[in-house]
Amino acid sequence: MSSDLEDTRRAMRLLRWYPSAWRERYGEEFVDHLEQEFAERHSNLGRSVNVVRKGVVARLGDIGLYDSVANPGAQSRAALGTSVAFAALMVVVMVDFWSRAMLVWSGRRYHPIPVSATTGTLTVVVALVLLVLAAIVIVVVTCVVRQIFRGRVRPLMVPSTIAVVTGWFLLYEARFFPRYLFPYIHGAHGFQGMSLSRPGQLIANFAQVTWMTTQRWVDFWNPGIAPLSTTQRVVDDCVPLAMFAFGIAIGLLVRRVEIPQRIARLVFPTVALLGALSGVYFVAYVGWNLFGGPSNYDFFFRDKWLGIVYLVLLGLVPLLVIRSGLLAREHKPRQWLNHIEIVRSKIESA
Amino acid sequence: MTDPDNSLVGLGRNAGAAVLILSSLAGGDKHGYALVKDVEEFAGVHLPPGTLYQVLPRLESRGLIVALEADERRRPYRLTAQGATVLAEYITAQQRILKTGQARLKRSWSFA
Repeated sequence: MSSDLEDTRRAMRLLRWYPSAWRERYGEEFVDHLEQEFAERHSNLGRSVNVVRKGVVARLGDIGLYDSVANPGAQSRAALGTSVAFAALMVVVMVDFWSRAMLVWSGRRYHPIPVSATTGTLTVVVALVLLVLAAIVIVVVTCVVRQIFRGRVRPLMVPSTIAVVTGWFLLYEARFFPRYLFPYIHGAHGFQGMSLSRPGQLIANFAQVTWMTTQRWVDFWNPGIAPLSTTQRVVDDCVPLAMFAFGIAIGLLVRRVEIPQRIARLVFPTVALLGALSGVYFVAYVGWNLFGGPSNYDFFFRDKWLGIVYLVLLGLVPLLVIRSGLLAREHKPRQWLNHIEIVRSKIESA
Repeated sequence: MTDPDNSLVGLGRNAGAAVLILSSLAGGDKHGYALVKDVEEFAGVHLPPGTLYQVLPRLESRGLIVALEADERRRPYRLTAQGATVLAEYITAQQRILKTGQARLKRSWSFA
């Protein structure tokens, strides 16, 4: 292999550390620059480390977790996309944990005030996170459909396909929810029927059905459930992954779809809201455990270390969401452009 | 005063590299590698490629430099009027600090 060819390959390998948008803009000149550096000094560990480190930084910037050079709108969209992906990952364990907390709470006669307060907080936060995510999904899907009808399908194809596949899988996995819910509407298993005049009972029934539906999804969290076939177990274990993939797909669509200006203005407040909600959830979760919430398991985990890892991840989510929100805010959004609009404005200015 | 959005303040730890790049481009248009060689010559500092290409887009997005038409794969960069103003302001501020430091060293420590 000739030295020139080898240098080009090395440079191309290093270029892969950078995000695709960056590669598209700076890739050629960067590879040329690296080839000249290689010609002068073939190996240099410090140089390779520098390129890799800056590539990772560029990738973090691309997902809104580091100050990037993207236009203000793009930085905010990246922040929202990342927040949606994190919130989606958390939502499976959030609803499962909330349902257990609620059941423990409603099964007791005596409620210490901190336990009641933290259980109530968890209920409100989980409901709000679900509402916010549902609103985002509805807005994004509407915009995607509109853009598809306009014929601008190409940038949306991959994330739309992932969203449809994972969304279908999640609906398939949630298929038991209505079936479980039906008996509780009319009263079953010691639970009274649902009535809007008894909101406490309504929430307890929802918690019971949510727990019955989600317990299989978080197997390590809920020991002692009815034995399942290996295939079913594998499929169930894929739910958190599917939820994360769904969140990433929606996040990518947020960045690529044309969003009306008046809705785009809500991007930063939405990121701030998701950050605040995940932060409050974390505090309420810790508080619930500290104030005597669990009755059988420490942190609801059979393995203590698993509980600690989960706690750390739970704390990281609000920090990362808030960081992406603050970076988006620093960019002072003045105009909201997506990829297509940027290309269009460049063509017009040329 | 320059618009703070377009100054070097927001560049954080990259501000040093940004000054070197702006100073180099003040001498004429250059592509990445020529820029590194020039900085090496006048400042004795080697700008690693990752750092250079982290700072170039930031300077470009702030309107301090502009990318010219690529010559094959090499794309030269040019200092803008705004970039020249920011660099001049930075140098003036640094000169003030330099003069004060020198005067105090001379007075209190007898350094020439």
